[in-house]
Amino acid sequence: MIRTYSSTSGRFDWTGLAFTILLAIVIAVPLLVVFTWAFTEVWRYPSVIPQKFGLRFWDQTLSRADVWEALSISLRLSATVTALSALICLPAAYAFARMKFPGRDLFFLSFLASHAFPKFGLLVAIAAIFLQLNLIATFWGVVLIQLVGTLMLMIWIPVAAFQAVDRRMEEAARDVGAGPLRVFWSITLPQAGPTIFAAVLLTFVSTFYETEGAWLIGAPQIRTMPVLMINFINNQVVIQYGAVLSVILWVPSFIALMFARRVIGTGAFAKGFGA
Amino acid sequence: MADTATASATGGSEPAIGRGLKGLLLVALPVFLVGWLIIYPIIAAIVSTLFVEATDGVQFSTASYRFFFSDPYSRANLALTLWTTGVCAVLLLLVGLPIALYLRFSTSRFADLVQSLAIFPMFVPSIILSYALIRTIGPNGTVDILLNAVGLPKIPSPYLTPWGPVIGLVWDNLPLTVLMLTAGLAGISNSAVEAARDVGAGPIRVFWHIILPRMGNSILVTISFTVLGIFSSFTLPYVLGPASPEMMGPFMLRTFNDLYDPLNAKTQAVISFVFCLFFGIFYVWSIARNQRSQSR
Repeated sequence: MIRTYSSTSGRFDWTGLAFTILLAIVIAVPLLVVFTWAFTEVWRYPSVIPQKFGLRFWDQTLSRADVWEALSISLRLSATVTALSALICLPAAYAFARMKFPGRDLFFLSFLASHAFPKFGLLVAIAAIFLQLNLIATFWGVVLIQLVGTLMLMIWIPVAAFQAVDRRMEEAARDVGAGPLRVFWSITLPQAGPTIFAAVLLTFVSTFYETEGAWLIGAPQIRTMPVLMINFINNQVVIQYGAVLSVILWVPSFIALMFARRVIGTGAFAKGFGA
Repeated sequence: MADTATASATGGSEPAIGRGLKGLLLVALPVFLVGWLIIYPIIAAIVSTLFVEATDGVQFSTASYRFFFSDPYSRANLALTLWTTGVCAVLLLLVGLPIALYLRFSTSRFADLVQSLAIFPMFVPSIILSYALIRTIGPNGTVDILLNAVGLPKIPSPYLTPWGPVIGLVWDNLPLTVLMLTAGLAGISNSAVEAARDVGAGPIRVFWHIILPRMGNSILVTISFTVLGIFSSFTLPYVLGPASPEMMGPFMLRTFNDLYDPLNAKTQAVISFVFCLFFGIFYVWSIARNQRSQSR
């Protein structure tokens, strides 16, 4: 998007200001409320400001065994799913970007299938299969169902990254005698690397927050962080538990925000979804 | 895309057949996963809900579908789901289109800020959003506190009503709507808009006659994508929505996990597939077409 200053130099951009203020209120207020609750000890209606701030509920939340157990399961699940996904998808992405083989276009489009059906219906259909395979309520059952959800992201974004690599540089390296592995390591990977890293990171974060599949397949043995959150919300034990967990859970998401901004800002992401 | 592949196939020293085989081997695993964990379960769900085991072997039966459509509770859940999906799609367009138009044509420094804000919800997991909305628009939440502070009466809280999930889903889906619409608007040339302006067309006429016809396709893709996402959404309706009737997502989970009734859960899933079939087909078709036009 090219923006020149000339056309609006005379007028103040009231529309922009209005959009900014409206969006800021709608998007920031709910999040600010959560942050405030996390550092609040007493907040009774109708006071606008909490009566007592403090960190008491951080100690209480962090001393709960179920929180640590859920965090450990969530981290192990996300790491396993991301590693598996990268292991099987990145070579495939390279093949889709660089090689010609029968059925290539059809196979490439087949990953759309995960987005072409209402997701929860698809999860139920998979769960019915897992029921026969005794994968319900097992770690690997959840890994498999979360792995399916990562396929498209882990193939489509890296394919675009490999295609964006300057082929002339690869050929030049080959001309001066570099072997295929060395070309890949010294030329291809540094250029495609950041985008691929962003895809890996997005996969990790989206797996970490994946709720539906983890609950449908994992319940009741495998309880991930988001599933624990739902429990806290439904049972309304102490309001602050949910708030403190939200703030803690926010950390991985925020890291992703910093790193993945470049992939998403360029509109590559929207293209990945078909716009 | 096809160009680069052809170049590498002819440029490589290996015979084309060997390369083709290598390519197939590299993509085999993910493609197998798509077949095993997407295509096969869907076909299995359709077949196993229509051919049910009876006393004298497997028989064709539409009983579970007849049950779904004769059961008032199931019908109410479906109706609520359709209502929520429709309202969300309309609201998302009404909110997303002005933002996208602004982002496309604005030249001011607010544009970057607006874009960052509009994309921000993408980085807020729906579970955190659910919690945040309960505390904000729930009973005695922040909105009530603020209304009370300026001496206004409380609003009837949308929490646990059908409007709760609508608010959450619009919030959650706004970034992709804006991104997809902006990508669609990027294809409209400035000269077409300027030409219309030069002959005296106002902003509304420019939008109606120049912009809208050129972005019809991307609006449809955006709607298809949101409909597919919202129709069987789970977390937000489960946490923010009413317990009865419930949307298809929570309904399916309850049927499967709490009632241990895979047959009816699968039936509900297949019914969701059928209702979203048009949007799914349109979505895949338009992406396939984009891919093909890019590779030429």
